[in-house]
Amino acid sequence: MRTYLNRHLQVLFAAIGTFARTPFASLATILIIAITLVLPSILYITLKSGQQIAEGWQGRPQISIFIDTELGAQEAKLIFAELSLHPAIETAEFLTPQQALEEFTALSGMSYELDFLGENPLPASIVAMPDQENSESDSLQALKTELEKIEGIESIRLDLEWTDKFNSLLNTAERTTYLLFALLSAALFLIVGNTIKLLIMNRRDEIEVTKLVGGSNAFVRRPFLYYGFLFGVCGGVCALVLLYFSAIYISPALENLATLYQKETLVYQLNWHELLCIVAFGGALGWIAARLSVARHLRHIKPR
Amino acid sequence: MNNNILRAEHLSKTVSTSDHELTILDDVSFELNRGQSLAIVGPSGAGKSTLLGLLAGLDTPSKGKVWLGDSELTAMDEEGRAAVRAKMVGFVFQTFQLLSSLTALENVSLPMELAGDKHALDRANKYLLRVGLAERVNHYPKQLSGGEQQRVAIARAFACQPKILFADEPTGNLDQKTGLKVCDLLFELNEQSDATLVLVTHEQRLASRCDHMITIDDGKLVESSLTNSQQ
Repeated sequence: MRTYLNRHLQVLFAAIGTFARTPFASLATILIIAITLVLPSILYITLKSGQQIAEGWQGRPQISIFIDTELGAQEAKLIFAELSLHPAIETAEFLTPQQALEEFTALSGMSYELDFLGENPLPASIVAMPDQENSESDSLQALKTELEKIEGIESIRLDLEWTDKFNSLLNTAERTTYLLFALLSAALFLIVGNTIKLLIMNRRDEIEVTKLVGGSNAFVRRPFLYYGFLFGVCGGVCALVLLYFSAIYISPALENLATLYQKETLVYQLNWHELLCIVAFGGALGWIAARLSVARHLRHIKPR
Repeated sequence: MNNNILRAEHLSKTVSTSDHELTILDDVSFELNRGQSLAIVGPSGAGKSTLLGLLAGLDTPSKGKVWLGDSELTAMDEEGRAAVRAKMVGFVFQTFQLLSSLTALENVSLPMELAGDKHALDRANKYLLRVGLAERVNHYPKQLSGGEQQRVAIARAFACQPKILFADEPTGNLDQKTGLKVCDLLFELNEQSDATLVLVTHEQRLASRCDHMITIDDGKLVESSLTNSQQ
């Protein structure tokens, strides 16, 4: 067992030595692998950030209920109390016309134009969140029809269309991410496979002699498997470094955006598990690519 | 008890070219006993090296069978043949076949390490001493002369104590004087180790030092005779 482990360690160090002897060629391959891993990772982060925003809405559309402007504040609050107790509504928030104006002014930046109007044109409103059971399109439409019958409610708007669009966008982004991930994994596969093929061709004489003196296929292919694994792992680690610098570059713009949406941060932070997954994925793909490449090309090299 | 170490039965090797099949070796059969030496002679392109490759399990025949000891090489896959080679075969080639990235000592110890020998380095040192290269153990092949490289190859071949040694034109890349010294060393070590020797050569002087000689011409075994040393 100890001999077996020693042999593996020898091969591992020999593989690292080969990297060190050809630093530029090895670095070029590692950087290509890193870039191949970074692209889907950035898409993954974008997707997760989008999902995080959607989770902020609890995945449910809001119902904006506008109160008749003829109604007084007391009557409007009675409608709010009635809606708060409605079994299909989980939470509800009352906005006075003044609060609605302040929010609109802050978001639109049209204070001058609104001042010009002289009086507040906005009605009191209630922003309600349906419970999970009533979040589907059909249930919401039924709820809307029911609420519209309440006296004093001027109109009701469902932001269903917008959330549907957003969810559809997220779905498209998810599929695009997985597709890109598959395509770039295939590219990574070919890059490592081709690099291993070149290494095999460069060491053809050595392989022939090793086979001649009784080296088994397992013995001959072992260093190449280590090369593939190391290329993948180093590519994964480089990908993490590139992601870190990408985050530094992008974060001021995103923080700005987060402030506008009154959120602390919009960017999804990869956890340790996911960071390790990127490195492990690189290593595993490198190893498999090397295994297939070695199986294909070593077959043609006979001892002589 | 069967004293055969090597047996070839109706060995043929054909290769396909774009327009026809080329027969390199045609129905060759013979047996060789343990401890004997055999010279395979014939003109260039006659199929001598192809025959040696088949006998050593480096290549597979189109037809026929080869036994090395009790192992039928022709019934084995590449992995099995490699294991038999590691256990009982030594090689000496015209082109030395040393690994340029390894020192003389590492080259000699490699087959023993592959076979799991814990004393590989000690034995490699001992054999390098026997071939007169004690001072050159840590030199790489490119730092050695042709004759020295061939002596490293001979040390490698004998260090793993093979049952049978295959040598393909071992003096082909050496000048006459060095070739003679290398030959003497080869036969001396072979005699001491009691291994069987199969030697491919076109040098009559070298062939005549073997117990047996077969002549291959145009892929066919045309002559099999005892050499002068046995007559």
